[in-house]
Amino acid sequence: MPGLTTDPALAEVELQCKWRLDAGDYVCAAEISAEDQLCVIGTGDGSVIGVDEATGHERFRVRAHQGSVLGISISPQGTRFVTCGQDSSARLWNSRGDMLRELPGGGAGWVEQVAWAPLGERIATAAGRAVRLWNSEGEPLLETETLSSTVTALAFRADGSAFAVACYGGVHVWPFVPNAKARHLAWKGSLISLAWSPDGKVIACGSQDGSVHFWRLASGKDSEMSGYPVKPKALAWDRESRLLATGGGPTVTVWDFRGKGPEGTRPIELEGHQGVCTRLAFDAKKGILASGAQDTSVLLWDPRRSSRPIRYAFMPAALTCLTWHPENRRLMGGDASGAVAYWEPS
Amino acid sequence: MKKIPVTVLTGFLGSGKTTLLNRILSESHGKRIAVIENEFGEIGIDQALVINADEEVFEMNNGCICCTVRGDLIRILGNLMKRRDKFDHILVETTGMADPSPVAQTFFVDHEMRDLFSLDGIVTLVDAKHVQLHIEDSSECKEQIAFADVLILNKTDLVSADELGALRARVTRMNAMAKVLDAQNANVPIAAVLDVGGFDLERALETKPTFLEPEYPFEWAGTYEVEEGSYELVLEAGPDPSMRVFAAHLPAGGAASDKAAAEHAMRVWANPPLTVSLGGEIAVDANEPTALPSSGPGTKRFQIRVPRTGRLALYTEHLPAEFRLRVLRGVVLRAPVAEREFAAGHTHDQEVTSVGIHLEGEIDPERLNRWVSALLREKGTDIFRMKGILNVQGSPNRFVFQGVHMLFDSSEDKPWGEGPRASDLVFIGKNLDRQSLTKAFEQCRV
Repeated sequence: MPGLTTDPALAEVELQCKWRLDAGDYVCAAEISAEDQLCVIGTGDGSVIGVDEATGHERFRVRAHQGSVLGISISPQGTRFVTCGQDSSARLWNSRGDMLRELPGGGAGWVEQVAWAPLGERIATAAGRAVRLWNSEGEPLLETETLSSTVTALAFRADGSAFAVACYGGVHVWPFVPNAKARHLAWKGSLISLAWSPDGKVIACGSQDGSVHFWRLASGKDSEMSGYPVKPKALAWDRESRLLATGGGPTVTVWDFRGKGPEGTRPIELEGHQGVCTRLAFDAKKGILASGAQDTSVLLWDPRRSSRPIRYAFMPAALTCLTWHPENRRLMGGDASGAVAYWEPS
Repeated sequence: MKKIPVTVLTGFLGSGKTTLLNRILSESHGKRIAVIENEFGEIGIDQALVINADEEVFEMNNGCICCTVRGDLIRILGNLMKRRDKFDHILVETTGMADPSPVAQTFFVDHEMRDLFSLDGIVTLVDAKHVQLHIEDSSECKEQIAFADVLILNKTDLVSADELGALRARVTRMNAMAKVLDAQNANVPIAAVLDVGGFDLERALETKPTFLEPEYPFEWAGTYEVEEGSYELVLEAGPDPSMRVFAAHLPAGGAASDKAAAEHAMRVWANPPLTVSLGGEIAVDANEPTALPSSGPGTKRFQIRVPRTGRLALYTEHLPAEFRLRVLRGVVLRAPVAEREFAAGHTHDQEVTSVGIHLEGEIDPERLNRWVSALLREKGTDIFRMKGILNVQGSPNRFVFQGVHMLFDSSEDKPWGEGPRASDLVFIGKNLDRQSLTKAFEQCRV
């Protein structure tokens, strides 16, 4: 593996691979359902593949979209999932791969974002400059006003009480509480990613101009962390809402929100990737961070203890997806060649 | 990985963009093409993926106009790469009134776009009949012409040969680098618009060798075979109230564009002109140019007395087509046996011009970088496009660089090989000062 054994900064223990498969095309999205022990993988040719989490055996394969799949979200109950893609619609499926309903995007534009609300009662989809909300049966509930710019990221608050979207010019937040007002967190710039802290207090966004902007919702106070070599697309919060890991170059930059931070503090810098970091995810249990990069590498870190990686793996091509199992410490990665790997850290 | 070429189609509403798009798609067999249309686009063709985009122009850094990009393109092109089977070519159609800078800048500013795509060319369609309505006062129209790598003068069947000639001269003066094609119903060969290899400076130098020459005060030189006797020079009202001309005998076999002859004319031109009235005489081999009145209605006629048979050079301040200038022997029209246009020294379009500079000797990359950075910082809004092939000290390879407004990048190109090494630099923009640009470039020499 390139440069690996000679670089003392790198981990010496390789991730244990449980299974691998070829999904057939660029892996665009990949999620894991704990309930059904199902991995759902969406690809560049519009296929959605259901894979048994324990064995890696394919349970179903459907042509879900014309053009690439752009997003997958599994219901919190784990028994259904919704996909969106380059054919201007989202689709609702059961975990056997039967389509239950089509959720039209409302125009010729792609449906680029999809998210299932944390309590399972709603689904949000974004196409162009508007967001549509649906109930868990895929029946339409409402559509937001047309925003000033296309939605680039969408997330629910962890308790399901609001949802937020990022676009050029800021973040829009809509609460589900009756009579509560929508908020616009204005910022003159093009926001390209959004991560809402699990405690609901902070919204962080990556910006096209190589910075991470975040808002503390209680005070409305915002801050900017700039100087990333490339736009930070990958963002991830740890479970305690203390660490925010950010991509934006080969180095993974982790900001610590403890105390008065991260303003005025030095971030934890995790160096190990040779290419731009494309994916970041914290596991649900122990605060282990997984990062994947364009150089095909996947690294695991324990950023509170060390800035050296603790595990490594390589994929055949640039990493495009990285997802932890919601309950245990298994990890799924997908790449631009269609390879999927499922690891079980020892 | 090979970068995917992107062709941008610009042009005012009704200039024929949709017709050209349809032509490209129906004739590019076997190529996988994705078309990103503006939201009003109406292409519907099965063999291509068509995506309707809402043109979203984003300001990147503190509202600097030079750093505007097309946010929708970044998002759509990024998503189009999410497949193993990549597209062979991307076509981007802009709305009629669009300023082309954000599209071009997108491929410089965004890291991902720069890595995955190359701007193959900006193709601007010009409605030969109606462009006059916009060319004077629409900055978008001027910029679309100035940004083009390929300029298609469309609907030429709706204008006369003279009108077309004047338009061609006009757009060439604004953008000396573009390949200019005539078309009816956008019927240009597909090879002329796709895979043109971007802003091809070598091609521009090949097709317009005058472009890097010293700046002559006249725009046109014609060579005539004449007999001893009387000739008539005839013109109509043109864009200026008068036009200077100069006529001179040439040695046997000579041409008006020969260096010695042109330089002689340039020296004569430096003297104050002799103004003649209608019907007056244009003296051959005079010591000063002759200024011909050209305003008001009606045909203007002037005499040229040729003392001996041979070749005659005629130099004109403006292009003959702009004044419908003809040379008559009695009632017989005499066509020049050779003619040449020169890059304009003065121009009607003070705003948009091209400046090309040729420099012998090696370039110090540090000095060049300092100069270009400072120049773009100060004049980035005025410089639309810039391109160079550089002979850099100590490198066996050519350096190529190109810029859009304040953004530029350079890369090492193929080796020089056996041919002569020299640097060429070209600017297209507003308020360009050829002398100071030349002087500054010369100071970058080792």
